[in-house]
Parts: sequence; structure tokens; C-alpha cells
Amino acid sequence: MNRFMKSLLAKYMVIIFMAIIVVQIAYFIVGSIAILGFDLGHKEDVDANNVEEKWHKAVQNLNMVTQEEITNLFNEWKVHYPEAGMFWVDGDGRMQVELDATEGLPKQWSIIDIVKFNKERYDGDPFTVMAFAGDKENESLVVFEVPRTIFDPPLITASQKYGYLILVGVLGFIILFIVVSFVFFRRIQKRLLRLQDAMGIRDENGLPIEVVTKKEDEIGQLEKSFNHMVTEIRASRMREQKEEQVRRELIANLSHDLRTPLTKVRAQAYTIKQQHLSEEGETALRAIEISIDNIDRLIDNLMSYTLLMASKYQFVPKEIDISRFVRESLATWYPAFEKDNFEIQVSLESLNNWHVDPIWMGRILDNLFQNILRHAKDGKYIGVQSENIDQFEAIVILDHGKGLDKESEEKGAGIGLAIVDMMVKGMSLEWEIETSEQGTTIRIKRPKKGVND
Amino acid sequence: MAHVLYIEDEREIGEWVEKDLTARGHQVTWLTSGEGLDSYISQSDIMILDVMLPGLDGFSIGRRIKKDHATLPILMLSARTSVEDKVEGLDFADDYLTKPFHPDELAARVEVLLRRFQKQNEIIELQHLIIHTKDGLVVNRETEKEIQLTGKQFHLFQFFLKHLNQILTKEQLYEGVWGERYLEGDKTLMVHIRYLREKIEKNPASPTIIETIRGIGYRVKL
Repeated sequence: MNRFMKSLLAKYMVIIFMAIIVVQIAYFIVGSIAILGFDLGHKEDVDANNVEEKWHKAVQNLNMVTQEEITNLFNEWKVHYPEAGMFWVDGDGRMQVELDATEGLPKQWSIIDIVKFNKERYDGDPFTVMAFAGDKENESLVVFEVPRTIFDPPLITASQKYGYLILVGVLGFIILFIVVSFVFFRRIQKRLLRLQDAMGIRDENGLPIEVVTKKEDEIGQLEKSFNHMVTEIRASRMREQKEEQVRRELIANLSHDLRTPLTKVRAQAYTIKQQHLSEEGETALRAIEISIDNIDRLIDNLMSYTLLMASKYQFVPKEIDISRFVRESLATWYPAFEKDNFEIQVSLESLNNWHVDPIWMGRILDNLFQNILRHAKDGKYIGVQSENIDQFEAIVILDHGKGLDKESEEKGAGIGLAIVDMMVKGMSLEWEIETSEQGTTIRIKRPKKGVND
Repeated sequence: MAHVLYIEDEREIGEWVEKDLTARGHQVTWLTSGEGLDSYISQSDIMILDVMLPGLDGFSIGRRIKKDHATLPILMLSARTSVEDKVEGLDFADDYLTKPFHPDELAARVEVLLRRFQKQNEIIELQHLIIHTKDGLVVNRETEKEIQLTGKQFHLFQFFLKHLNQILTKEQLYEGVWGERYLEGDKTLMVHIRYLREKIEKNPASPTIIETIRGIGYRVKL
């Protein structure tokens, strides 16, 4: 129940309920004002019959039908009925006393005048009461006339007088209701928009941030659910990171445990090398050395491949000057190519910065250079160039080897290129290989924005 | 000859490296764990550190020692090859070599580090030149005359000598010597190299000491 009272539904129900109640109360109040405000003046004699009877009685009760008495009577009634008119016609048909009577009445009344007046005023407006005063010998006519509107019920009077006020009130009330409803929904809308914005905010780990719950209503509940979800996502991310950590650790340890004995093999081989060996022994030892290098590289590639496949290879991209990066990478490989008498041609123009992970980029170049050293030795040539055309910028690596299709004595190239492929695609770059008996050209391309999109 | 402090728990590898480095003229102190390490630090010129060790791991040891002895070069020598390990290692260490390494490579890297940290007053004989790195003295062996270099020229030459046998790009040289970001098209470096060559090369038109590596940079090879 408490929860219901805090809900938006309850609030809106209250607004609707208030609207209905206030309409009723408004009518009640308007009615009451009308009744209390206009009814006080004519409590008893709102009735025409009542007025008629009282007039007759009053006239009959006159002691003397004198001018003075009549004037007193008139003044007395005038207090009660300010809108009323009165006059007295004596036995000779002369208008003796007149108080606010209708204009244009004759001064001298004939029988015809009286009959005509009587006919005119019968059931007419103003309401007219004609009473006879005095004894039979000296009868005279005392007339009371009053606009019929004074007999209207007070509500009608009020509505005629103050009808526009009621209209304005009702209109005002409707507007008030619309404004209150608007404000009510506007506030809901604003809160929802704020919530939407808050849901869009991400912290440094790319996770949503909890929102502050201020109210206990439906939106408040929604915010709480959202916060709950955020907590769950965080927990899940933590679990994932832990698993990732365990996995990385496992692979690192495995790699370590494979390399340690390999190092020992090398140590022993090196020790043997110090002895004086036969030519056959030297050859065998060289084969061991090469195998150690191959196993070393294979372990490395295998670990990298496993991590890449599981998307667990650390990826921290940043803006790098790619020409400079390639130049520096090539500088470290230069002695190896030099040793094998390669012709080395470098032509790196300045390119835009590339948004890549330097470790990944380094790995790609290492794998490609290593492949050339191992599989394209015959060509004795390596070219490294930059390319900048409308669609893309590219780093081009060329060799004059026998091509990738030719079975090299080693098949280790496959996994090395698979890693290159995954890393290139992982950094939103593209690459292509053109290979033939005359050599291989590898192009790592960064599409220019707005061309491919 | 340098004093090498070497921490390695694998006996076979430890013995081998100790023997090899000793044969190359270094004095090696080999420990199988980080215990008792501190007493050797003051007399060491370089430290070679394995990662997987009993007790404290190599990263923790290295980080602690680098904090107290910033001028002691540390070379991590590990069978852990993951990117994370290398990144963590190079966070404090000066070099990171993975197993299985070739002893020549280890020796070369030790040399580079010793030179970089100028642990010895090394006398380098480079073709017709004799260079005393610490005193900043360059002598022409044939004429037995000192070659006078300006401050910037010696600074540049010294940078090459610290990175002997390494190819240095224009950017690396400029940023290493001038300490400012290299801007494409800046001729300052080329001008200084020309002046330097005029002083130290026998024939500045076809230099043999400061080699030009086309498209990449320059190199001084021992």
C-alpha cells in the first residue's frame, strides 16, 4: 500500500480525483454564493401571490385613506422593494400620489383607462397589484407595480448576472488541469531523459555507471533495476577478467615451461660446440641450433595464435607515425638482412598517423621480415615502401623470393601469416599478397576515411 | 671487464651463462635466488635477472633495486615471453631478453647496456680513432693529435657510440641529442653530421665511420 502511494499511478489518480472533486465543489460554492448572496433580501416574499396578498392587506388596513397615509405606505414598501413603483388614484379618477410609477400614466383616470390598464397589466410585466381602498362611497385605487425579475429564482438571477464568471472559472479550471497534467508528465519525461543519458555514460572500462535513485516511484524502481544490472555486469566483468588472467597465466607458464628445457638444450649444445668437433658433428650441432630457433618461434606463434583466437591478446592502440615506426623496426632487422647479403631498398615517405597497437604492428613486421629471411633468401632483395593514393595509405614489403606458393623447406610460415592476418584485421587495416615465382608483394593498407564508408 | 650480478635458479642455465660471460672477460656473481642480493649490488656494474625465481619473483626484485639504484642497468632474462610480461619487465628494466637466447646475443646486449650506462671509462678504437668516452677525448691514432669537437658534435658522436652497431633513424638521433621532437624536413641534424664527418672521417666524401643507411638512418659500427 505504501509503495502504491509513492507510485506515479497514485499521483496521477490524485490529480484526476482532485479535478472531479473540484468541479463539484466549484458548483456547490457558486450555488451557495448565489443563494446566500441574493436570497437574503427577499426571504419571504419572492412569491407573486404573497406580494399581492400583502398589498391587499396593507391597503385594507389603512385607517384613513388620506394622502399622508398613502405616502407613508408607499415609503414603507419602497424600502422593501426598491425597484417597485406605486400610485394612488382617488375616487374621482385623479392621480393623487405617485412614487416611481411607470411613465406615461394619465393624470386623470376614466373608467376606460382603468379597464385598459387592468387588461394591459394582467399577467404582464411589470407585475401589478391593484387594490381598492376606503369605503364603498369613496373607493379609490392603490396600485403597486414591480418588475417581474424580482420573482426569478436566485440561481437564475445569479447566472444572468454572474454567468460569465462561472464560464471563466470553468475555463480557468480546465486550463489549470491541463497545466498540472502537463507539468506532471513533463517531469516524468525529464526524469526519463536524464535516466537515458545516465545509462549512456561509460566509465574508463566501458561499463555503465550506477545512477542516483531519488524517488521510490516506478522510475525509481527502474533506476534500481538498472543499478542492479550494472552491479551484475561489473561482477561478470570481474569474473571474466579473472578467467582471462588465469588463462594468460596458464599460457605464459606453459610457454615458460617449454622454453626452459629448450634453453638447457642450447646450453648443452653450446658446451659441445666448445669442443673440437668433426665436420659431421658441427653440421649436427648447427641443425640442433636451427631446430631450437624454430621451436622457439613456433611456441611463440602458437601462444600468440591461441591468445588471438580467444581475443585475449593485449590490445592497446594509439596514434603512431607509421613511416617512422616501420623505419625503426627495419633498423633492428637490417643487420640480419645485411648478413645474408640482401639488397635493401627503403623508400618511406611521411604518412598520416595510424591508430594501431605498436606491439601488434611490430609483431606483424617481425613475422613478415622473418618470413623473407627464411623463405625468400634466394631473391636477395627486400624492398620497403610507403604508398599514398586516393583510397588508402599502405606499407609495401617486397621480396624477390620464389613466392609463397612454392613449398618452402619449412612450413612454419602458415601460422606466422595467420597471426599477421588476425592482427591486421584486428586493427581495422587491410592487407593483400601478390605472389609469383618472381617474388612476393605484401601491402598493408589503411583505408582513408570517407572513401570506403 | 665488468662485474655482472646474475640471478638464475636453473642450475644448468646458470652454470652455462656464468661460464660464457666469464670467458668473455666479465666477473660474474651468480645467485640462485634474490636472497642476500643486496650485499653485491654496490660492486656490480650490471644485473641479469630471471623472472621465475623461488621466493620473490624477478619483477619484484628488479623493481625494488631499480628504485634504490637507478644507475644499475638491469637486463631481464626470462622464458616468459608474453606481451604482458615484456611490458611489465620493461617498465623498470633496461632490456628484456627471452629464452632460449644465444650467448652472443646476451653478451652483445650486456655490452650495449654497459656502454649506455657508461659503467667503464671505455676506450673505443674505431678505425683510425681512439675515443675515451668518459673524458670526451677523441684522438687520431695516425697523427696522434686530438680532434677538437664542439659540444654538440661530441654529444652527437657520443650518442652514436652509446648505440654502437645500431642503426639510428633521423628522429631517434635528433630527439636523443637535441631532446626535441624531430620535424620532417629539418636540416639541423644533417648539417651537424656533415661537420662531424669533416672532422673525424679520413675522406668525408665517402664516410666509413658514420655510415649512411639509405632510407633508414645512420650507423657507427665497431
